[in-house]
Amino acid sequence: MSAAERLLHDAVTMLEADLGGKQGERHGDVHVTLDKETVREAVRRLRAAGFELLADVMAIDWSAYPGHEGERFTVVYNLASIDPVTRIFLRVNVEEDEEVPSITPQWKAAGFMEREVYDLFGIPFAGHPDLRKLVTPDDLEGHPLRKDFPLGETPTLFNDGRFLDPATFRAGMLGSDTGRTGWVGGARKGVRSEQGREAAERELTEGSDA
Amino acid sequence: MSDLPHGAQVLHEERSGDFSTKLMRINVGPVHPATHGVLRLVVDLDGETVMGVAPRIGYLHTGFEKTMENRTWQQVVTYTNRMDYAHALGHDLAYVLAAEKLLDARVPERAQRIRVLLTELNRIASHLLGLGTGLLDMGALTPFFYTMRERDKILDILEMVSGVRMNYGYFRVGGLSRDLPEGFEEKVQAFIDEFPARLEEYLAMFADNPIWVNRVRGAGVVTRDTALEVGLTGPSARASGVNYDVRKAAPYSGYEDYDFEVPMAEEGDAEQRFAVRAREMEQSLRIVQQALVRLEPGPIKDPDRRISLPERHELETSMEAVIFHFKLVTEGFHPPMGEVYVPTESARGELGYYLVSDGGSMPYRVKVRTPSLVNVQAIEPASIGGTFADMVVNIATMDPVMGDVDK
Repeated sequence: MSAAERLLHDAVTMLEADLGGKQGERHGDVHVTLDKETVREAVRRLRAAGFELLADVMAIDWSAYPGHEGERFTVVYNLASIDPVTRIFLRVNVEEDEEVPSITPQWKAAGFMEREVYDLFGIPFAGHPDLRKLVTPDDLEGHPLRKDFPLGETPTLFNDGRFLDPATFRAGMLGSDTGRTGWVGGARKGVRSEQGREAAERELTEGSDA
Repeated sequence: MSDLPHGAQVLHEERSGDFSTKLMRINVGPVHPATHGVLRLVVDLDGETVMGVAPRIGYLHTGFEKTMENRTWQQVVTYTNRMDYAHALGHDLAYVLAAEKLLDARVPERAQRIRVLLTELNRIASHLLGLGTGLLDMGALTPFFYTMRERDKILDILEMVSGVRMNYGYFRVGGLSRDLPEGFEEKVQAFIDEFPARLEEYLAMFADNPIWVNRVRGAGVVTRDTALEVGLTGPSARASGVNYDVRKAAPYSGYEDYDFEVPMAEEGDAEQRFAVRAREMEQSLRIVQQALVRLEPGPIKDPDRRISLPERHELETSMEAVIFHFKLVTEGFHPPMGEVYVPTESARGELGYYLVSDGGSMPYRVKVRTPSLVNVQAIEPASIGGTFADMVVNIATMDPVMGDVDK
């Protein structure tokens, strides 16, 4: 048994014996399913054991997966050991609106990763020091990577009161309607509305307290 | 106060006699030449000293992952290279490798060598861009023109192969879109002959230059522990003593057969981050050289009819080929249900695609582990306590590509 295999074997044995993990295998990678309460402890122990790199924290929404039973989301933690080289995946299954303990306080690398999952899937991470949206606009409602988030066909509302309504837009393209967008505000491109300016100032004020 | 720049605010002010000390919060970007795209930073400044940096990202968020869930497996390649546009082939390679692992596809030797060759050329181009613009941020205008000249030669080669200069889309799940054009070998060989002298010339311009050394030595130090704490990977992490290069750690596409070294440094300062990239170009060139020598004629895609399109001439004689062609174009292939993660080494660090298949013709979930998103987290620890001007150097040496950050 090589050093990498031994490290991985010891880690899986530890997770199964002490933290009630269930081992699985996906295309040659070792996945260990855990209860959400134990994820912090598991990450702490794995890090101490030599998994020095937190490569990723991501989520999967199973709600449209054929034949899926059980919780709606899975949060996957991707940890790597650099020397010897090996990799382990931790999985935590959660329902909608169920909180997952954040590992950011103990590992800063998770900061952006958990925020991204929170933003795109709406999975809250309890104890995250700065849990805000990461990539989507402030005025976007919903979590785009959820399977029930519609693709297109959603009127997009901009800060300054303009909004783009797909049905009207298509009608405009076909020539059956002259208007290409629903135009509510009077603002032109490059002119910021009162709301937009307020939002920008608010962010600057509440900004970098992390 | 009237003398403050727009949007800035005073967090704290202390007066003693005629002097006053202010802790200010100012906004940098998102559209700023030193932020390499649309990175926005909210910076707390005490005079010239940086007390806090909070990156604000998302200005380039395009929802690639959602889009990919609604495209066939083969169409996804169109999107992958638009993320990290500086090292586009790295993204293409990472995706096709993951999809091929799901499909259990057998990629011919020639296709793998061409992939490695082009990806390494693209890595050199990416590092040249990073080096040139990094120096530009420090006020050194001239190197930028030189590095762009060399980069252009690589882009010429890639254009010759794929037809475009940026978003190549040349790799396919199962192989390549087409074979190399005539005259490719000569052009690459000409580049290999010319480049080492050019690189030496560029490095001589700044490597021992006292102005350069004073500017970057000891600036923006990231220790090994900090690098691992924030998840830094790639050349920036290797400059901090993190000996992790996926090409060596978990070789893919036959990287284990190539003879190359992984440049390392311990200091973790801006000078070493530049130096590691520069030396990495030499190593990439070695790989290109070896791959070029080993190029042998042969098939360039998996012969499996369920994955690869049939040859054009077959469509004229074989009904079966027409049917497979029709099925692949209209519907695509169906990888078996499962999940897969393949890490690769992009020019910026560990790049991996986590794919989930539900057995359909489109991916159920595509998660891209982009190195830049994680690497921007290292700007804060590198910059705190340093000057504002050093922060600009840190952004340049971390070399984030915003398309890679926001996805």
